[in-house]
Amino acid sequence: MSQENMSNDNVESPTEDPTDDDMLLETDVTSGLEEGTQGSRTTHERTIVEAKDVNVWYNQDQALRDITMQVPENKVTAMIGPSGCGKSTFLRCINRMNDMIDAARVEGELYLGEKNVYDDDVDPVALRRRVGMVFQKPNPFPKSIYDNVAYGLNIQDIGGDHDAIVEESLKRAALWDEVKDQLDESGLDLSGGQQQRLCIARAIAPDPEVILMDEPASALDPVATSKIEDLIDELAEDYTVIIVTHNMQQAARISDKTAVFLTGGELVEFGDTKKIFENPDNERVEDYITGKFG
Amino acid sequence: MARQNYQEKLDSLESDVLYMSEVVVDRLRTALTALENKDDDAAWEVIDGDSEINSLYLDIEQQCVDLLALQQPVAGDLRFIAASFKIITDLERIGDLATNLGEYTLDARHDVYPEVDVQSIGDKTVSMVEEAMEAYAAQDTDACFEINESDDELDAMCEHASQSVVRELIENEIDDGTDVETVLEEVSRLLLTVRDLERIGDHAVNIAARTLYMVENDDELIY
Repeated sequence: MSQENMSNDNVESPTEDPTDDDMLLETDVTSGLEEGTQGSRTTHERTIVEAKDVNVWYNQDQALRDITMQVPENKVTAMIGPSGCGKSTFLRCINRMNDMIDAARVEGELYLGEKNVYDDDVDPVALRRRVGMVFQKPNPFPKSIYDNVAYGLNIQDIGGDHDAIVEESLKRAALWDEVKDQLDESGLDLSGGQQQRLCIARAIAPDPEVILMDEPASALDPVATSKIEDLIDELAEDYTVIIVTHNMQQAARISDKTAVFLTGGELVEFGDTKKIFENPDNERVEDYITGKFG
Repeated sequence: MARQNYQEKLDSLESDVLYMSEVVVDRLRTALTALENKDDDAAWEVIDGDSEINSLYLDIEQQCVDLLALQQPVAGDLRFIAASFKIITDLERIGDLATNLGEYTLDARHDVYPEVDVQSIGDKTVSMVEEAMEAYAAQDTDACFEINESDDELDAMCEHASQSVVRELIENEIDDGTDVETVLEEVSRLLLTVRDLERIGDHAVNIAARTLYMVENDDELIY
């Protein structure tokens, strides 16, 4: 699949009209509170990311097999599964991070709103403005706290009042009160948990629609983990969060939907988190989440 | 198998719940025998044995709490532990009701209305508790529904017995020489006996209901 000479003309900017219904595939408008939603989040489910028969290979090794799923908007969707099952690979397909791996080959369709992100006319950089990402290890740049948050605004040439955006992003990342008097100090001087919240602030500054998180709390202590989990719950009021985690209890605590990938790159079950953890349909899923294999 | 220690703890929990049920059923049988034969020794055996049932209950309760706190069970394992947690409460209450029967035995000097067939009602409750625990052990959901239906039969037997007692009271005048207070105590004791046996049946249905939930995540019988 060629990724050269792409323009971002056909990638709709979320800042123009992020609530435009036409951008989203309406799928399940009848889903009720009892259907596994958490907190006070909307019960109105609309699909924002949709995979249709997505297959991924690394050279000759198939990492994902015929993944078809619909990720609802403004929900937390967790992806769990044993190491090597392909869950992180799928995550990286959504913002085309796999483009950076020469050996990776992606087939199938993967929609953000109504646009297949693998269409030739999609600019991956513009795509990543709509799909932010937070990684396992906090990775602030060796810059000031302010510049870390404003980084995406500058490189993507996003206008507006940067001071206000930085402050709002740090507030949304629940970090503002801790750093408001030291914005010029290095982001590297923060604690691990603060660094990860700084990375989340950096990810949300360009106002993405989707935030991808690849084990965002696995390197943090329980207190910092708890703050990240609370933050994820709050972020889901404004963003769609897709999180890969090895911690099944974390998936159970924070997500509305859970996708279970098993060895071989297969999506074995996808549904309401409550259903997955109380009464999964698939026996292999039951065995995995109860620890009987994997 | 992964998490072997965890699996062993789950197996141990099931074994202990089944053992507790055997003790409870044994006490219930003894209580019924004591009631039938006016056997004070057997009655005391049931009354004194209640502390053993309470100890079993507390021990198994702790096992459930430990599993929940330390193993974070989910799915079928979670339902098994949640169901077991509830079932031991029903078993403990059945033990208490068997103790009541023992105490009635010590107080009762003769059958006030021998035509009220307490033993048949008692046998029915014993069968229901045994069948409920067999359903739990075998994860037999069909049996859960059968036990629920049996409870309707038990309720009918208990209602018939209670009505018989009231009818006797209304129809038979008390002789001048009869101590009214004594008659009232004996009648009350008989009605309490029937009521307690009926409640044991309800606990058997609770066990069946939790078993159905445990096996199929179906709360149809829980009410």
